[in-house]
Amino acid sequence: MPYSRKPTRAEIRRERLQEAINFPLDWLEERSGLVGGIRYFLFRKVPADTNWMQTLGSAALTAFLVQAITGVILAMYYKPDPKDAYSSIQNITDHLTMGWMVRGMHKWGASVFIILMFLHMGRVFLFGAYKYPRELNWIIGVLILVMGMMEGFTGYLLPWDQTAYWASVVGINLNGTAPFLGPWLAQFLRSGQEIGADTLSRFYSLHMLLIPGGIISLIGLHLYLVIRLGVTSPPWSREAAGMVPADEEPVPLRPGLTRPVPRTIAAAQGDAGGSE
Amino acid sequence: MAVVPQPQHEKPSRVEEARAGFARYKADVKKRGKPFYPYAMFHDTVMSLIVVTVILGLAAIWKWTSYGPHHDGTHQGLLGPEYTAPADPGTTSFVPRPDWYFYFLFYLLRIFKWPESVFLGTVGVPTIALILLLLLPFMDTRLERRPSHRPVAMVAMALTIVSMAVLTWKGATANEALASEVIANVPNWVKQEKLPPQALPGAKLFATAGCTACHTYLGTGSSNLGAPDLTAIGTRNLGITFQVNHLKCPSCVNPGSPMPKFASLGDTRLHQLAVFLEASKGPQH
Ligand code: HEC
Ligand code: HEM
Repeated sequence: MPYSRKPTRAEIRRERLQEAINFPLDWLEERSGLVGGIRYFLFRKVPADTNWMQTLGSAALTAFLVQAITGVILAMYYKPDPKDAYSSIQNITDHLTMGWMVRGMHKWGASVFIILMFLHMGRVFLFGAYKYPRELNWIIGVLILVMGMMEGFTGYLLPWDQTAYWASVVGINLNGTAPFLGPWLAQFLRSGQEIGADTLSRFYSLHMLLIPGGIISLIGLHLYLVIRLGVTSPPWSREAAGMVPADEEPVPLRPGLTRPVPRTIAAAQGDAGGSE
Repeated sequence: MAVVPQPQHEKPSRVEEARAGFARYKADVKKRGKPFYPYAMFHDTVMSLIVVTVILGLAAIWKWTSYGPHHDGTHQGLLGPEYTAPADPGTTSFVPRPDWYFYFLFYLLRIFKWPESVFLGTVGVPTIALILLLLLPFMDTRLERRPSHRPVAMVAMALTIVSMAVLTWKGATANEALASEVIANVPNWVKQEKLPPQALPGAKLFATAGCTACHTYLGTGSSNLGAPDLTAIGTRNLGITFQVNHLKCPSCVNPGSPMPKFASLGDTRLHQLAVFLEASKGPQH
């Protein structure tokens, strides 16, 4: 940059720093377009009247991330084998430094995640946000909800205590009562005649690989659609985005109360008979 | 190519109206919206911090009311034990209980008690509910979004919330027969059914092996999954062999049976159970 005078040291330093910051960003942007993407994500416009109810989706995302992080840590110490599962859980909860916190967060985070998904779904329903053009995102949401509950079912067996074991025995048998696919599904979950070592590894694999993988992909799609389509305004808002402008709306606000006709229009109408 | 002239409609079709509405939405947001960062993101961040705090709080309460003061993870605490006794396929004096968010399904089973209708409770109703949920956007295609103008949707929502809440609550408070209470009834069974002495070990096993989680016997236990009352099972003269085989693998004998396998009890105990069942001919006078 041409300076009319000799730049001071401070100015030179600032310029160098600016370059040092920009260089990796420019490098990344040139090769991936990610910087622009993130900038778009952060600075995209959302309706001015979005409210607290619309934080429930990102709250569910946070709860899911808590599950992912604590789950990875648990997997480092948990042993998916009927001989060791129970004692590894005892060890994590009662002896490992902060182990109680990691397992406790994973256990209770699961409930919080499910509650937040239901609340989020409730707000989407209340807002009528499943209507055109967001139908697909509703369907993706329902699939996430189902997979979330499947996570709960498969995770419940892992501590291999009495509660876990007998709840899963009955749960699997219930799946078995379904017509056609039921017995096959029960057989698949049990991976044999009896609940045992194979069942435990199977549940473990479903719980930490297959289902979370599915949920993560669906969350990705879900957020893509949220960003692409935008979030809806609260439908009762006076300035809801996309609402038919008030002065074009023919229906009265409340029975007996019509919108006052603006003066200028009234005057113009009064003149209508004139010789203009 | 000749284009057939479209008749001019007075009102635009629903699809046209929907598209126009969305175009208006896009334009409005562009004109009057505010950037996600920092406005919406601020709300999201506050909410997420609350979520993490609540989760941490629950974990702490769980630990510090169970293992914390008692040095025993099976202690009940405020939020339940950290773990129950190790899984033991042999002794089944355990009442199966799912996590709370399955209680509504769990309770649905008690509504459909009869064997022929069990699958309605286990898969029928939930599957229909799921399909309705998936198809919702295609069933409710009106563009109106204001709750005050969607009476049917709002009533449906209220009914769904109330019934889910009631089912969950009923599932949570369902009175499960505890093994210790059931076994107190055994002398009474012996008296009323005039059970022979060799049926006594089987009666005790029946009381403690978890059978009464699904079956009733002289009014004890709770009826679940369409399991029959066993007060007079002996009058059907199914035979010891059948009983043992059924207990070993219920679904091999009665296809589709949701009753768990009890093969792990071992042949001696299964035989004792079978003797007890065959001796149960109902109250004798
Ligand atoms: C999880 C629920 C459940 C538990 C626990 C359970 N049962 Fe059952 N039982 C059922 C159901 C459902 C049926 C009906 C389907 C069938 O006949 O298998 C049944 C049927 C039976 C029958 C009648 C079989 C016939 O052909 O009519 C007998 C006898 C029986 N159970 C004994 C027992 C005994 C003994 C125990 C405890 C060791 C036990 N059950 C535990 C659910 C259960
Ligand atoms: C892991 C679970 C989920 C996550 C992380 C998630 C995340 C989000 C986020 C961040 C938004 C943006 C607006 C908001 O926060 O309200 C959103 C919107 C939406 N979600 Fe979800 N969601 C989840 C589950 C669900 C479920 C279970 C449903 C319904 C069955 C659903 C349906 C929708 C719809 C239709 C929108 C668009 C709403 C609008 O435009 O106003 N989502 N989701």
